[in-house]
Amino acid sequence: MLITFECIAVFFAVIIVILQLSGVRDRSFTEYAVGGRSFGANYQAMSFLNTWYPGAMFTAFGGMAASAGVISFYVLSYSLLTVVLMYLMARPVWVWGKTFDLRTQPDLLALRFDSRHIKTIAAVIGIVSGIPWLVLGMQALGTLFQHMSLGALSFSEAVMVGVGIIALRQVWTVRMGMRGVVISDMAQGIIAYIVGGAVLVGLIVWMIVSQGITFASLDAGKFAIPGIGSKEGPLYVFSLILTGTIGGWCWPYIFVRLFTADGVHSLKRSAALAVPLSLAFGVALLVFGMLGSQVAGVAAKPNDVWFIVSQEAGGPWLLGLAGVVVLAASMGHTDGNIQATGAQIANDLVGNYWTLDQRQLIIIAKLGMLGLTILSSWLACLELPALFQLAVLAYQGIIQLAVPQFLGIFWKRGNKYGAITGMTAGFAVAVVLELIYPGYLPWAYGLTSGAVALSVNLAIYVAAAYLLPQSREERTRIEKLFALIEARRSTSLDALNASPQSV
Amino acid sequence: MADEVTADPGRHASWIIAWFALDAVVALAPPLYWAVDGNRASLLGLPTAVLYFVAVAVFITASIVAAYLAESRVAEGG
Repeated sequence: MLITFECIAVFFAVIIVILQLSGVRDRSFTEYAVGGRSFGANYQAMSFLNTWYPGAMFTAFGGMAASAGVISFYVLSYSLLTVVLMYLMARPVWVWGKTFDLRTQPDLLALRFDSRHIKTIAAVIGIVSGIPWLVLGMQALGTLFQHMSLGALSFSEAVMVGVGIIALRQVWTVRMGMRGVVISDMAQGIIAYIVGGAVLVGLIVWMIVSQGITFASLDAGKFAIPGIGSKEGPLYVFSLILTGTIGGWCWPYIFVRLFTADGVHSLKRSAALAVPLSLAFGVALLVFGMLGSQVAGVAAKPNDVWFIVSQEAGGPWLLGLAGVVVLAASMGHTDGNIQATGAQIANDLVGNYWTLDQRQLIIIAKLGMLGLTILSSWLACLELPALFQLAVLAYQGIIQLAVPQFLGIFWKRGNKYGAITGMTAGFAVAVVLELIYPGYLPWAYGLTSGAVALSVNLAIYVAAAYLLPQSREERTRIEKLFALIEARRSTSLDALNASPQSV
Repeated sequence: MADEVTADPGRHASWIIAWFALDAVVALAPPLYWAVDGNRASLLGLPTAVLYFVAVAVFITASIVAAYLAESRVAEGG
Protein backbone atom coordinates (compact mmCIF):
# COMPACT_ATOMS: atom_id res chain seq x y z
CA MET A 1 0.00 0.00 0.00
CA LEU A 2 2.91 2.29 0.81
CA ILE A 3 4.46 1.73 -2.64
CA THR A 4 1.28 2.56 -4.54
CA PHE A 5 0.59 5.72 -2.54
CA GLU A 6 4.24 6.77 -2.92
CA CYS A 7 3.85 6.55 -6.71
CA ILE A 8 0.74 8.74 -6.54
CA ALA A 9 2.43 11.24 -4.20
CA VAL A 10 5.52 11.58 -6.43
CA PHE A 11 3.37 12.13 -9.53
CA PHE A 12 1.20 14.71 -7.77
CA ALA A 13 4.29 16.55 -6.51
CA VAL A 14 5.83 16.62 -10.01
CA ILE A 15 2.67 18.16 -11.49
CA ILE A 16 2.55 20.81 -8.76
CA VAL A 17 6.24 21.65 -9.27
CA ILE A 18 5.66 22.02 -13.04
CA LEU A 19 2.72 24.34 -12.37
CA GLN A 20 4.62 26.39 -9.79
CA LEU A 21 7.60 26.81 -12.12
CA SER A 22 5.44 27.86 -15.03
CA GLY A 23 3.35 30.34 -13.05
CA VAL A 24 2.43 33.32 -15.21
CA ARG A 25 0.17 36.10 -14.02
CA ASP A 26 -2.80 36.54 -16.37
CA ARG A 27 -3.29 40.19 -17.27
CA SER A 28 -6.60 39.85 -19.08
CA PHE A 29 -9.63 37.57 -19.06
CA THR A 30 -8.64 36.26 -22.49
CA GLU A 31 -5.30 35.18 -20.99
CA TYR A 32 -7.12 33.49 -18.12
CA ALA A 33 -9.91 31.87 -20.19
CA VAL A 34 -8.04 30.75 -23.32
CA GLY A 35 -4.38 31.14 -22.35
CA GLY A 36 -3.99 34.21 -24.53
CA ARG A 37 -4.36 32.02 -27.67
CA SER A 38 -0.69 31.21 -27.31
CA PHE A 39 -0.28 27.45 -27.54
CA GLY A 40 1.51 25.60 -30.31
CA ALA A 41 0.61 22.26 -31.86
CA ASN A 42 2.30 19.98 -29.31
CA TYR A 43 0.51 21.52 -26.35
CA GLN A 44 -2.75 21.63 -28.30
CA ALA A 45 -2.55 17.95 -29.25
CA MET A 46 -1.86 16.75 -25.72
CA SER A 47 -4.38 19.12 -24.21
CA PHE A 48 -7.07 17.80 -26.54
CA LEU A 49 -6.22 14.17 -25.70
CA ASN A 50 -6.01 14.80 -21.97
CA THR A 51 -9.45 16.40 -21.99
CA TRP A 52 -11.00 13.94 -24.44
CA TYR A 53 -9.86 10.70 -22.78
CA PRO A 54 -10.66 10.79 -19.05
CA GLY A 55 -9.47 8.24 -16.50
CA ALA A 56 -12.77 6.45 -17.08
CA MET A 57 -11.33 5.24 -20.40
CA PHE A 58 -9.32 2.71 -18.41
CA THR A 59 -12.24 1.66 -16.24
CA ALA A 60 -15.47 2.17 -18.23
CA PHE A 61 -14.21 1.46 -21.76
CA GLY A 62 -11.49 -1.00 -20.67
CA GLY A 63 -14.29 -2.71 -18.74
CA MET A 64 -16.64 -2.61 -21.71
CA ALA A 65 -13.98 -4.28 -23.88
CA ALA A 66 -13.57 -6.95 -21.20
CA SER A 67 -17.29 -7.59 -20.75
CA ALA A 68 -18.86 -6.86 -24.15
CA GLY A 69 -15.89 -7.24 -26.51
CA VAL A 70 -15.44 -5.71 -29.93
CA ILE A 71 -18.42 -3.30 -29.75
CA SER A 72 -16.29 -1.21 -27.38
CA PHE A 73 -14.25 -0.18 -30.44
CA TYR A 74 -16.98 2.30 -31.32
CA VAL A 75 -15.24 4.71 -28.92
CA LEU A 76 -12.15 4.64 -31.14
CA SER A 77 -14.19 5.28 -34.30
CA TYR A 78 -15.88 8.37 -32.90
CA SER A 79 -12.76 9.62 -31.12
CA LEU A 80 -10.91 9.73 -34.45
CA LEU A 81 -13.85 10.88 -36.55
CA THR A 82 -14.33 13.83 -34.22
CA VAL A 83 -10.79 15.02 -35.08
CA VAL A 84 -11.91 15.24 -38.72
CA LEU A 85 -14.52 17.72 -37.51
CA MET A 86 -11.82 19.57 -35.60
CA TYR A 87 -9.76 19.79 -38.76
CA LEU A 88 -12.70 21.20 -40.72
CA MET A 89 -13.74 23.64 -37.98
CA ALA A 90 -10.23 24.84 -37.19
CA ARG A 91 -10.15 27.77 -39.58
CA PRO A 92 -13.62 29.29 -39.13
CA VAL A 93 -13.67 28.93 -35.36
CA TRP A 94 -10.13 30.17 -34.78
CA VAL A 95 -10.46 33.11 -37.19
CA TRP A 96 -13.74 34.25 -35.63
CA GLY A 97 -12.32 33.64 -32.17
CA LYS A 98 -9.24 35.76 -32.78
CA THR A 99 -11.07 38.52 -34.63
CA PHE A 100 -13.86 38.98 -32.09
CA ASP A 101 -11.96 37.91 -28.96
CA LEU A 102 -14.27 34.91 -28.39
CA ARG A 103 -13.48 32.95 -25.25
CA THR A 104 -16.25 30.35 -25.02
CA GLN A 105 -18.53 28.25 -27.20
CA PRO A 106 -21.61 30.40 -26.37
CA ASP A 107 -19.56 33.44 -27.49
CA LEU A 108 -19.34 31.89 -30.94
CA LEU A 109 -23.06 31.09 -31.07
CA ALA A 110 -23.87 34.66 -29.97
CA LEU A 111 -21.67 36.04 -32.74
CA ARG A 112 -23.04 33.77 -35.46
CA PHE A 113 -26.70 34.28 -34.57
CA ASP A 114 -26.40 37.83 -33.25
CA SER A 115 -28.27 36.83 -30.10
CA ARG A 116 -27.51 37.46 -26.47
CA HIS A 117 -30.05 34.87 -25.29
CA ILE A 118 -28.53 31.98 -27.19
CA LYS A 119 -25.38 32.63 -25.20
CA THR A 120 -27.23 32.18 -21.91
CA ILE A 121 -29.14 29.10 -23.09
CA ALA A 122 -26.02 27.37 -24.44
CA ALA A 123 -24.08 28.20 -21.27
CA VAL A 124 -26.79 26.88 -18.96
CA ILE A 125 -27.10 23.65 -20.99
CA GLY A 126 -23.31 23.23 -20.97
CA ILE A 127 -22.82 23.93 -17.27
CA VAL A 128 -25.78 21.87 -16.02
CA SER A 129 -24.95 18.94 -18.31
CA GLY A 130 -21.31 18.92 -17.23
CA ILE A 131 -21.94 18.60 -13.48
CA PRO A 132 -23.08 14.93 -13.42
CA TRP A 133 -19.99 13.97 -15.45
CA LEU A 134 -17.72 15.93 -13.14
CA VAL A 135 -19.20 14.15 -10.13
CA LEU A 136 -18.93 10.75 -11.86
CA GLY A 137 -15.27 11.46 -12.68
CA MET A 138 -14.58 12.24 -9.03
CA GLN A 139 -16.41 9.13 -7.86
CA ALA A 140 -14.43 7.01 -10.36
CA LEU A 141 -11.32 7.98 -8.40
CA GLY A 142 -12.82 5.89 -5.60
CA THR A 143 -12.15 2.74 -7.63
CA LEU A 144 -8.59 3.94 -8.22
CA PHE A 145 -7.82 4.61 -4.58
CA GLN A 146 -9.49 1.44 -3.38
CA HIS A 147 -7.08 -0.51 -5.58
CA MET A 148 -4.15 1.65 -4.52
CA SER A 149 -4.94 0.81 -0.89
CA LEU A 150 -4.92 -2.90 -1.81
CA GLY A 151 -8.44 -3.15 -0.42
CA ALA A 152 -7.63 -1.48 2.93
CA LEU A 153 -9.98 1.43 2.22
CA SER A 154 -13.72 0.94 1.83
CA PHE A 155 -15.20 2.35 -1.38
CA SER A 156 -16.69 5.38 0.36
CA GLU A 157 -13.38 6.09 2.13
CA ALA A 158 -11.56 5.74 -1.20
CA VAL A 159 -13.99 8.19 -2.86
CA MET A 160 -13.26 10.74 -0.13
CA VAL A 161 -9.49 10.35 -0.62
CA GLY A 162 -9.90 10.72 -4.40
CA VAL A 163 -12.16 13.75 -4.06
CA GLY A 164 -9.73 15.33 -1.58
CA ILE A 165 -6.79 14.94 -3.96
CA ILE A 166 -8.59 16.15 -7.08
CA ALA A 167 -10.07 19.09 -5.12
CA LEU A 168 -6.59 20.04 -3.87
CA ARG A 169 -5.35 19.92 -7.46
CA GLN A 170 -7.98 22.53 -8.38
CA VAL A 171 -6.14 25.16 -6.31
CA TRP A 172 -3.77 25.52 -9.26
CA THR A 173 -6.58 25.37 -11.84
CA VAL A 174 -8.31 28.27 -10.11
CA ARG A 175 -5.07 30.23 -9.71
CA MET A 176 -3.71 29.71 -13.21
CA GLY A 177 -6.78 29.28 -15.42
CA MET A 178 -6.35 27.87 -18.91
CA ARG A 179 -2.57 28.31 -18.96
CA GLY A 180 -2.25 25.98 -15.97
CA VAL A 181 -4.65 23.49 -17.52
CA VAL A 182 -2.80 23.27 -20.84
CA ILE A 183 0.70 23.14 -19.34
CA SER A 184 -0.26 20.37 -16.92
CA ASP A 185 -2.13 18.57 -19.71
CA MET A 186 1.21 18.07 -21.45
CA ALA A 187 2.80 16.30 -18.45
CA GLN A 188 -0.39 14.44 -17.56
CA GLY A 189 -0.96 13.42 -21.19
CA ILE A 190 2.55 11.99 -21.55
CA ILE A 191 1.96 9.85 -18.45
CA ALA A 192 -1.61 8.85 -19.33
CA TYR A 193 -1.33 8.02 -23.03
CA ILE A 194 2.36 7.49 -23.85
CA VAL A 195 3.48 5.78 -20.62
CA GLY A 196 0.00 4.29 -20.23
CA GLY A 197 0.07 3.07 -23.84
CA ALA A 198 3.49 1.46 -23.30
CA VAL A 199 2.19 -0.30 -20.18
CA LEU A 200 -0.85 -1.52 -22.15
CA VAL A 201 1.39 -2.99 -24.87
CA GLY A 202 3.59 -4.61 -22.23
CA LEU A 203 0.55 -6.16 -20.54
CA ILE A 204 -0.80 -7.43 -23.87
CA VAL A 205 2.57 -9.14 -24.51
CA TRP A 206 2.52 -10.53 -20.96
CA MET A 207 -0.97 -11.97 -21.44
CA ILE A 208 -0.08 -13.57 -24.79
CA VAL A 209 3.39 -14.89 -23.93
CA SER A 210 3.13 -15.68 -20.24
CA GLN A 211 -0.57 -16.48 -19.87
CA GLY A 212 -1.28 -17.94 -23.31
CA ILE A 213 -4.30 -15.67 -23.81
CA THR A 214 -5.17 -14.85 -27.43
CA PHE A 215 -8.29 -13.79 -29.34
CA ALA A 216 -8.92 -17.48 -29.95
CA SER A 217 -9.42 -17.91 -26.19
CA LEU A 218 -12.38 -15.52 -26.18
CA ASP A 219 -15.95 -16.69 -26.55
CA ALA A 220 -17.94 -15.92 -29.69
CA GLY A 221 -20.10 -13.32 -27.92
CA LYS A 222 -17.10 -10.98 -27.65
CA PHE A 223 -17.16 -10.51 -31.45
CA ALA A 224 -20.83 -9.63 -31.73
CA ILE A 225 -21.85 -6.24 -33.12
CA PRO A 226 -25.55 -5.37 -32.84
CA GLY A 227 -27.08 -5.79 -36.29
CA ILE A 228 -30.40 -6.75 -37.89
CA GLY A 229 -32.41 -8.83 -35.43
CA SER A 230 -30.30 -7.79 -32.43
CA LYS A 231 -31.86 -6.71 -29.13
CA GLU A 232 -30.48 -3.17 -29.44
CA GLY A 233 -31.44 -2.67 -33.09
CA PRO A 234 -29.50 -2.40 -36.37
CA LEU A 235 -28.75 1.33 -36.07
CA TYR A 236 -27.53 1.23 -32.48
CA VAL A 237 -23.79 1.33 -33.29
CA PHE A 238 -24.38 3.95 -36.01
CA SER A 239 -26.16 6.09 -33.46
CA LEU A 240 -23.41 5.71 -30.84
CA ILE A 241 -20.67 6.70 -33.30
CA LEU A 242 -22.66 9.58 -34.82
CA THR A 243 -23.64 11.15 -31.51
CA GLY A 244 -20.15 10.58 -30.10
CA THR A 245 -18.53 12.26 -33.10
CA ILE A 246 -20.63 15.40 -33.19
CA GLY A 247 -21.45 15.44 -29.49
CA GLY A 248 -17.83 15.71 -28.39
CA TRP A 249 -17.58 19.25 -29.69
CA CYS A 250 -20.70 20.28 -27.80
CA TRP A 251 -18.87 20.04 -24.46
CA PRO A 252 -17.57 23.52 -23.54
CA TYR A 253 -14.26 22.13 -22.23
CA ILE A 254 -13.57 20.39 -25.56
CA PHE A 255 -14.72 23.25 -27.79
CA VAL A 256 -12.57 25.82 -25.98
CA ARG A 257 -9.45 23.95 -27.22
CA LEU A 258 -10.12 25.60 -30.59
CA PHE A 259 -9.54 29.02 -28.99
CA THR A 260 -6.31 28.23 -27.13
CA ALA A 261 -4.13 27.63 -30.22
CA ASP A 262 -1.77 30.28 -31.58
CA GLY A 263 -3.09 29.83 -35.12
CA VAL A 264 -5.04 27.72 -37.60
CA HIS A 265 -1.89 25.92 -38.67
CA SER A 266 -1.19 24.86 -35.07
CA LEU A 267 -4.71 23.52 -34.71
CA LYS A 268 -4.40 21.42 -37.86
CA ARG A 269 -0.93 20.24 -36.90
CA SER A 270 -2.25 19.30 -33.47
CA ALA A 271 -4.95 17.20 -35.16
CA ALA A 272 -2.27 15.41 -37.20
CA LEU A 273 -0.22 14.81 -34.04
CA ALA A 274 -3.15 13.71 -31.89
CA VAL A 275 -4.68 11.10 -34.19
CA PRO A 276 -1.76 8.64 -34.40
CA LEU A 277 -1.44 8.83 -30.60
CA SER A 278 -5.17 8.37 -30.19
CA LEU A 279 -5.12 5.42 -32.61
CA ALA A 280 -2.24 3.65 -30.86
CA PHE A 281 -3.63 4.27 -27.37
CA GLY A 282 -7.19 3.32 -28.30
CA VAL A 283 -6.27 0.07 -30.08
CA ALA A 284 -3.92 -0.94 -27.25
CA LEU A 285 -6.54 -0.23 -24.56
CA LEU A 286 -9.40 -2.07 -26.27
CA VAL A 287 -7.31 -5.09 -27.31
CA PHE A 288 -5.95 -5.17 -23.73
CA GLY A 289 -9.50 -5.10 -22.35
CA MET A 290 -10.68 -7.92 -24.61
CA LEU A 291 -7.72 -10.18 -23.77
CA GLY A 292 -7.82 -9.13 -20.11
CA SER A 293 -11.30 -10.64 -19.80
CA GLN A 294 -9.53 -14.01 -19.55
CA VAL A 295 -7.44 -13.05 -16.52
CA ALA A 296 -8.76 -14.45 -13.23
CA GLY A 297 -11.07 -12.06 -11.38
CA VAL A 298 -11.82 -9.80 -14.36
CA ALA A 299 -15.05 -11.52 -15.38
CA ALA A 300 -16.56 -10.66 -11.99
CA LYS A 301 -15.28 -7.04 -12.04
CA PRO A 302 -14.65 -6.05 -15.68
CA ASN A 303 -14.31 -2.33 -14.87
CA ASP A 304 -11.29 -3.18 -12.73
CA VAL A 305 -9.47 -4.94 -15.59
CA TRP A 306 -6.68 -2.31 -15.73
CA PHE A 307 -5.86 -2.63 -12.03
CA ILE A 308 -6.33 -6.41 -11.76
CA VAL A 309 -4.06 -7.25 -14.72
CA SER A 310 -1.43 -4.66 -13.71
CA GLN A 311 -1.20 -6.06 -10.20
CA GLU A 312 -1.17 -9.64 -11.46
CA ALA A 313 1.62 -8.92 -13.95
CA GLY A 314 3.83 -6.52 -12.01
CA GLY A 315 2.85 -6.45 -8.35
CA PRO A 316 2.49 -3.24 -6.33
CA TRP A 317 4.95 -1.18 -8.40
CA LEU A 318 3.04 -1.74 -11.63
CA LEU A 319 -0.23 -1.26 -9.77
CA GLY A 320 1.13 2.06 -8.51
CA LEU A 321 2.07 3.09 -12.04
CA ALA A 322 -1.40 2.03 -13.26
CA GLY A 323 -2.90 4.29 -10.60
CA VAL A 324 -0.70 7.21 -11.66
CA VAL A 325 -1.79 6.73 -15.29
CA VAL A 326 -5.50 6.83 -14.39
CA LEU A 327 -5.00 9.81 -12.08
CA ALA A 328 -3.13 11.67 -14.85
CA ALA A 329 -6.00 11.09 -17.28
CA SER A 330 -8.62 12.02 -14.65
CA MET A 331 -6.86 15.24 -13.70
CA GLY A 332 -6.80 16.52 -17.27
CA HIS A 333 -10.50 15.94 -17.76
CA THR A 334 -11.57 17.35 -14.38
CA ASP A 335 -9.35 20.44 -14.62
CA GLY A 336 -10.58 21.18 -18.14
CA ASN A 337 -14.22 20.82 -17.10
CA ILE A 338 -13.88 23.07 -14.04
CA GLN A 339 -11.86 25.72 -15.87
CA ALA A 340 -14.25 25.93 -18.82
CA THR A 341 -17.27 26.09 -16.52
CA GLY A 342 -15.77 28.91 -14.45
CA ALA A 343 -15.00 30.88 -17.59
CA GLN A 344 -18.59 30.38 -18.78
CA ILE A 345 -20.10 31.53 -15.49
CA ALA A 346 -18.14 34.79 -15.76
CA ASN A 347 -18.27 35.34 -19.51
CA ASP A 348 -21.63 33.93 -20.59
CA LEU A 349 -23.87 34.33 -17.54
CA VAL A 350 -22.73 37.20 -15.31
CA GLY A 351 -20.81 39.05 -18.02
CA ASN A 352 -23.72 38.69 -20.44
CA TYR A 353 -25.91 40.97 -18.34
CA TRP A 354 -23.47 43.19 -16.44
CA THR A 355 -20.53 45.13 -17.81
CA LEU A 356 -17.44 43.81 -16.05
CA ASP A 357 -13.81 44.80 -16.40
CA GLN A 358 -11.03 42.24 -16.97
CA ARG A 359 -10.21 41.90 -13.29
CA GLN A 360 -13.84 41.39 -12.28
CA LEU A 361 -14.29 38.72 -14.96
CA ILE A 362 -11.24 36.82 -13.66
CA ILE A 363 -12.44 37.06 -10.06
CA ILE A 364 -15.93 35.78 -10.97
CA ALA A 365 -14.43 32.93 -13.00
CA LYS A 366 -12.24 31.96 -10.03
CA LEU A 367 -15.19 32.11 -7.65
CA GLY A 368 -17.22 30.01 -10.10
CA MET A 369 -14.47 27.37 -10.25
CA LEU A 370 -14.17 27.34 -6.48
CA GLY A 371 -17.94 26.97 -6.07
CA LEU A 372 -18.10 24.20 -8.66
CA THR A 373 -15.21 22.33 -7.04
CA ILE A 374 -16.91 22.48 -3.63
CA LEU A 375 -20.33 21.52 -5.04
CA SER A 376 -19.07 18.58 -7.11
CA SER A 377 -16.79 17.35 -4.29
CA TRP A 378 -19.74 17.37 -1.91
CA LEU A 379 -22.04 15.59 -4.41
CA ALA A 380 -19.32 13.00 -5.12
CA CYS A 381 -19.28 12.00 -1.45
CA LEU A 382 -23.06 11.37 -1.44
CA GLU A 383 -24.86 8.26 -2.60
CA LEU A 384 -26.77 9.35 -5.70
CA PRO A 385 -28.38 6.29 -7.27
CA ALA A 386 -29.72 8.14 -10.34
CA LEU A 387 -26.43 9.91 -11.09
CA PHE A 388 -25.39 7.74 -14.03
CA GLN A 389 -28.85 7.98 -15.62
CA LEU A 390 -28.70 11.73 -15.12
CA ALA A 391 -25.30 11.84 -16.85
CA VAL A 392 -26.59 9.89 -19.87
CA LEU A 393 -29.60 12.19 -19.95
CA ALA A 394 -27.27 15.20 -19.90
CA TYR A 395 -25.25 13.80 -22.79
CA GLN A 396 -28.30 13.22 -24.99
CA GLY A 397 -29.36 16.77 -24.20
CA ILE A 398 -26.09 18.62 -24.70
CA ILE A 399 -25.49 17.16 -28.15
CA GLN A 400 -28.44 19.27 -29.30
CA LEU A 401 -26.00 22.19 -29.40
CA ALA A 402 -24.50 20.47 -32.45
CA VAL A 403 -27.15 21.69 -34.91
CA PRO A 404 -26.72 25.46 -34.47
CA GLN A 405 -23.00 25.01 -33.84
CA PHE A 406 -22.08 23.05 -36.98
CA LEU A 407 -24.68 24.51 -39.33
CA GLY A 408 -23.85 27.95 -38.01
CA ILE A 409 -20.20 27.45 -38.89
CA PHE A 410 -20.66 25.78 -42.28
CA TRP A 411 -23.95 27.19 -43.65
CA LYS A 412 -24.76 30.84 -44.22
CA ARG A 413 -28.48 30.32 -43.91
CA GLY A 414 -30.11 29.78 -40.55
CA ASN A 415 -31.19 32.25 -37.89
CA LYS A 416 -31.48 32.68 -34.16
CA TYR A 417 -35.14 31.65 -34.14
CA GLY A 418 -34.40 28.27 -35.66
CA ALA A 419 -31.24 27.87 -33.57
CA ILE A 420 -32.90 28.59 -30.22
CA THR A 421 -36.20 26.79 -30.95
CA GLY A 422 -34.48 23.76 -32.50
CA MET A 423 -31.94 23.44 -29.70
CA THR A 424 -34.54 23.82 -26.96
CA ALA A 425 -37.01 21.43 -28.61
CA GLY A 426 -34.21 18.93 -29.28
CA PHE A 427 -33.13 19.08 -25.64
CA ALA A 428 -36.70 18.50 -24.43
CA VAL A 429 -37.31 15.62 -26.87
CA ALA A 430 -34.01 13.97 -25.91
CA VAL A 431 -34.78 14.19 -22.18
CA VAL A 432 -38.35 12.86 -22.53
CA LEU A 433 -37.32 9.99 -24.83
CA GLU A 434 -34.36 9.05 -22.62
CA LEU A 435 -36.61 8.94 -19.55
CA ILE A 436 -39.14 6.71 -21.35
CA TYR A 437 -36.65 4.58 -23.32
CA PRO A 438 -33.29 4.60 -21.51
CA GLY A 439 -30.36 3.52 -23.69
CA TYR A 440 -31.96 3.15 -27.10
CA LEU A 441 -35.33 3.35 -28.82
CA PRO A 442 -36.62 -0.06 -29.85
CA TRP A 443 -39.12 1.45 -32.35
CA ALA A 444 -36.38 3.54 -34.00
CA TYR A 445 -34.17 0.59 -34.97
CA GLY A 446 -31.83 1.22 -32.05
CA LEU A 447 -31.27 4.94 -32.52
CA THR A 448 -30.58 6.72 -29.23
CA SER A 449 -32.84 9.45 -27.85
CA GLY A 450 -30.22 12.08 -28.71
CA ALA A 451 -30.05 10.98 -32.35
CA VAL A 452 -33.85 11.13 -32.79
CA ALA A 453 -33.95 14.52 -31.05
CA LEU A 454 -31.20 15.76 -33.37
CA SER A 455 -33.43 15.10 -36.38
CA VAL A 456 -36.25 17.15 -34.77
CA ASN A 457 -33.75 19.90 -33.96
CA LEU A 458 -32.35 19.85 -37.51
CA ALA A 459 -35.80 19.97 -39.09
CA ILE A 460 -36.73 23.04 -37.03
CA TYR A 461 -33.43 24.81 -37.84
CA VAL A 462 -33.71 24.17 -41.60
CA ALA A 463 -37.43 25.03 -41.69
CA ALA A 464 -36.82 28.32 -39.89
CA ALA A 465 -33.92 29.09 -42.24
CA TYR A 466 -36.26 28.96 -45.23
CA LEU A 467 -39.50 30.17 -43.66
CA LEU A 468 -37.94 33.16 -41.88
CA PRO A 469 -35.35 34.52 -44.31
CA GLN A 470 -32.56 36.73 -42.98
CA SER A 471 -33.01 40.47 -43.32
CA ARG A 472 -30.72 42.33 -45.74
CA GLU A 473 -28.61 43.66 -42.84
CA GLU A 474 -28.29 40.21 -41.31
CA ARG A 475 -27.35 38.68 -44.66
CA THR A 476 -24.64 41.31 -45.10
CA ARG A 477 -23.33 40.67 -41.60
CA ILE A 478 -23.19 36.91 -42.20
CA GLU A 479 -21.52 37.41 -45.59
CA LYS A 480 -18.81 39.47 -43.89
CA LEU A 481 -18.32 36.83 -41.23
CA PHE A 482 -17.83 34.12 -43.83
CA ALA A 483 -15.64 36.40 -45.93
CA LEU A 484 -13.22 36.48 -43.00
CA ILE A 485 -12.82 32.72 -43.26
CA GLU A 486 -12.30 32.83 -47.00
CA ALA A 487 -9.78 35.65 -46.74
CA ARG A 488 -6.24 34.47 -47.27
CA ARG A 489 -2.74 35.90 -47.31
CA SER A 490 -2.66 39.55 -48.32
CA THR A 491 -6.42 39.81 -48.38
CA SER A 492 -6.86 38.59 -44.84
CA LEU A 493 -5.90 41.81 -43.15
CA ASP A 494 -8.14 43.87 -45.40
CA ALA A 495 -11.07 41.65 -44.63
CA LEU A 496 -10.37 41.83 -40.93
CA ASN A 497 -10.28 45.62 -41.03
CA ALA A 498 -13.66 45.60 -42.72
CA SER A 499 -15.09 43.13 -40.24
CA PRO A 500 -18.49 43.61 -38.66
CA GLN A 501 -18.99 44.78 -35.11
CA SER A 502 -17.57 42.83 -32.26
CA VAL A 503 -19.75 40.67 -30.00
CA MET B 1 -2.87 37.89 -37.24
CA ALA B 2 -2.11 37.57 -40.95
CA ASP B 3 0.79 35.18 -40.30
CA GLU B 4 -1.28 33.05 -37.97
CA VAL B 5 -3.99 32.63 -40.58
CA THR B 6 -2.07 32.62 -43.81
CA ALA B 7 0.12 29.65 -42.85
CA ASP B 8 -2.94 27.71 -43.89
CA PRO B 9 -4.72 27.37 -47.21
CA GLY B 10 -8.17 28.91 -47.20
CA ARG B 11 -10.00 25.97 -48.71
CA HIS B 12 -9.54 22.24 -48.51
CA ALA B 13 -8.68 20.42 -51.73
CA SER B 14 -11.53 18.34 -53.11
CA TRP B 15 -9.64 15.07 -52.57
CA ILE B 16 -9.33 15.92 -48.86
CA ILE B 17 -13.05 16.58 -48.56
CA ALA B 18 -13.75 13.33 -50.45
CA TRP B 19 -11.46 11.35 -48.13
CA PHE B 20 -13.07 12.90 -45.05
CA ALA B 21 -16.50 12.00 -46.43
CA LEU B 22 -15.30 8.43 -46.98
CA ASP B 23 -14.11 8.39 -43.35
CA ALA B 24 -17.70 8.98 -42.28
CA VAL B 25 -19.00 6.32 -44.65
CA VAL B 26 -16.63 3.55 -43.52
CA ALA B 27 -17.13 4.39 -39.84
CA LEU B 28 -20.88 4.87 -39.91
CA ALA B 29 -22.39 2.75 -42.71
CA PRO B 30 -24.28 -0.03 -40.89
CA PRO B 31 -23.93 -2.69 -43.67
CA LEU B 32 -20.16 -2.64 -43.16
CA TYR B 33 -20.26 -3.55 -39.50
CA TRP B 34 -23.23 -5.87 -39.96
CA ALA B 35 -21.04 -7.80 -42.41
CA VAL B 36 -18.37 -8.49 -39.78
CA ASP B 37 -20.77 -9.15 -36.88
CA GLY B 38 -19.51 -12.20 -35.01
CA ASN B 39 -16.77 -12.91 -37.54
CA ARG B 40 -13.72 -14.18 -35.64
CA ALA B 41 -11.88 -15.62 -38.63
CA SER B 42 -8.28 -14.47 -38.41
CA LEU B 43 -7.14 -11.94 -41.01
CA LEU B 44 -3.70 -10.30 -40.76
CA GLY B 45 -3.46 -11.81 -37.28
CA LEU B 46 -6.66 -10.22 -35.98
CA PRO B 47 -10.26 -11.46 -35.84
CA THR B 48 -12.18 -9.92 -38.77
CA ALA B 49 -14.57 -7.99 -36.48
CA VAL B 50 -11.60 -6.37 -34.68
CA LEU B 51 -9.73 -5.82 -37.94
CA TYR B 52 -12.70 -3.86 -39.33
CA PHE B 53 -12.55 -1.30 -36.52
CA VAL B 54 -8.75 -1.10 -36.62
CA ALA B 55 -8.83 -0.60 -40.41
CA VAL B 56 -11.43 2.18 -40.05
CA ALA B 57 -9.25 3.83 -37.40
CA VAL B 58 -6.14 3.65 -39.58
CA PHE B 59 -8.08 5.00 -42.58
CA ILE B 60 -9.33 8.04 -40.61
CA THR B 61 -5.90 8.67 -39.08
CA ALA B 62 -4.24 8.52 -42.50
CA SER B 63 -6.75 11.02 -43.91
CA ILE B 64 -5.98 13.66 -41.29
CA VAL B 65 -2.21 13.21 -41.46
CA ALA B 66 -2.30 13.28 -45.29
CA ALA B 67 -4.50 16.40 -45.31
CA TYR B 68 -2.16 18.20 -42.92
CA LEU B 69 0.98 17.25 -44.87
CA ALA B 70 -0.58 18.26 -48.20
CA GLU B 71 -1.90 21.58 -46.90
CA SER B 72 1.42 22.39 -45.21
CA ARG B 73 3.18 21.83 -48.52
CA VAL B 74 0.71 24.10 -50.33
CA ALA B 75 1.15 26.81 -47.69
CA GLU B 76 4.95 26.61 -47.89
CA GLY B 77 4.78 26.76 -51.68
CA GLY B 78 2.65 29.90 -51.43
